[in-house]
Amino acid sequence: MKAYDTKLKYTFLSIATVIAFLLLWQLLAVTGFTGIIPAPSVVFRTLLDKFSNPNPDGATLLKNIVISLKVSLTGLLLGIGIGVPLGWLMAWYEPVNKLVRPLFEFIRPIPPISWIPLTILWVGIGLGAKAMIIFFGCFVPCLINAYAGVKTTDQTLINVAKTFGASNFTTFRKVAIPSSLPLTFTGMRTALNCAWSTLVAAELLAANAGVGYMITMGRSVGRVDIVIAGMITIGVIGYVFSRLFDKIESIVVKWRTL
Amino acid sequence: MRLDQTTHKKSLFQHVVGTLAPSFLIILLIGVWVFASNRNSVLVPSPVTVIQRFIKTFTNPINNQLIWGHIWASLKRVLLALLISCGIGIPFGVLIGWNKTFNAIFGTLFEVLRPIPPIAWMPLIIMLLGIGEVPKVVIVFIGTFTPIVLNTATSIRLVDTLYLDVGRMFNANERQLLFHVALPASLTSIFAGFRTATSGGLMVVMAAEMIGAKAGLGFLIQRGLDAFDIPLIMVGMIVIGLVGSVLAILTDFLERWITHGR
Repeated sequence: MKAYDTKLKYTFLSIATVIAFLLLWQLLAVTGFTGIIPAPSVVFRTLLDKFSNPNPDGATLLKNIVISLKVSLTGLLLGIGIGVPLGWLMAWYEPVNKLVRPLFEFIRPIPPISWIPLTILWVGIGLGAKAMIIFFGCFVPCLINAYAGVKTTDQTLINVAKTFGASNFTTFRKVAIPSSLPLTFTGMRTALNCAWSTLVAAELLAANAGVGYMITMGRSVGRVDIVIAGMITIGVIGYVFSRLFDKIESIVVKWRTL
Repeated sequence: MRLDQTTHKKSLFQHVVGTLAPSFLIILLIGVWVFASNRNSVLVPSPVTVIQRFIKTFTNPINNQLIWGHIWASLKRVLLALLISCGIGIPFGVLIGWNKTFNAIFGTLFEVLRPIPPIAWMPLIIMLLGIGEVPKVVIVFIGTFTPIVLNTATSIRLVDTLYLDVGRMFNANERQLLFHVALPASLTSIFAGFRTATSGGLMVVMAAEMIGAKAGLGFLIQRGLDAFDIPLIMVGMIVIGLVGSVLAILTDFLERWITHGR
């Protein structure tokens, strides 16, 4: 009962902090202390207004969100779909590792954002171009963690499978891959974060729609409320995705242990 | 004897294949690159052109800076941001990991702001502080602060209770528990955060420099796009890759050096 009470106390403290933060911000904005930063109430009104008002970037908030999601999910799924299997294969089959590793080590240290100008010139600023930039960002953590996951498989488990006559491929499929899942998921989580922040960069530098573009337009017309509304939108979607991912992870990894 | 020879030959053959295979994809890549640049040498400059452009950056300044100046401009921003992040982030992480009340107040604020990617702060910070040196370091700082705080706080929370109980049995007070038990135990994890922060910082500095700067590797790449100097874009990408690799190696050394003392 006492533990429950302390927990309640801290939850209350957390909520009170957020409310106090918003109130303080409102107070400072109303009295003019925050300079060009508008009050949270103004930002909230702008956010609601953006659902129906396409100005100044030419699309409503919902439409911008859909466009941004389409781009980031395409890049993310491509990165996971290619990075994870390749990482597994590289860890289990030495020839694959020897073949792919030099090229991978060459591409790996280049930040995905620095691909933006080349992709603009080669592919343009459409969905494909931005998905490609995000792909470069997501591919790397997926591959590294899937690789590490298979590499750290308990040798005893592999030996048991072999003793029971499992072929090399069966051992790979039934032992190494399942035991790599926790680390593989860590990689996918990193990729998810990376996809979201790379998307914003890509949309800030080269786009004609999307939440990042909305922020850029807000900045160029001097509407700080739109910039902050865009940041909040990005933060909320990022948060929802990461919670969704937690759910998927707990389902998949639980299935593994059953 | 004969058997020995055949096995020797086979292993020699395997040896040759083994040494050639790793370079196969690189050779293929260069082959595709050369082929593409033969088709359209403006949009895809040949490797030789890129190398020549690279050599030129050592003698011909771009915006009054040689390549070293641009590397230093980017590095300075990242290192400064990393330094400030460690100075503020590690104590902050320790506090929200160690003290529940502090966590309920400042940890909550941190968690509320965390989902906003550092790059999304860029327009707001430019509007507030302009495009000078300070706003760039601030943006990179936002990127490097988060992983350091996160890793520090998590590792302090996850310190084995057995260690703490042993400390308490020997009559250690809270401060001794923190500095002599919890902090040393979480050093490795704090370093993992530092490593994430370093590569994240490099990425954010590129974005910040591409939006508006007078020097730096991101500036070089953006200049390449504006002036349609594609070899320069590629030089910028290769150099930032090299800088990232060198920083990663240095971080490894630093980690080994510091954790070795424990």
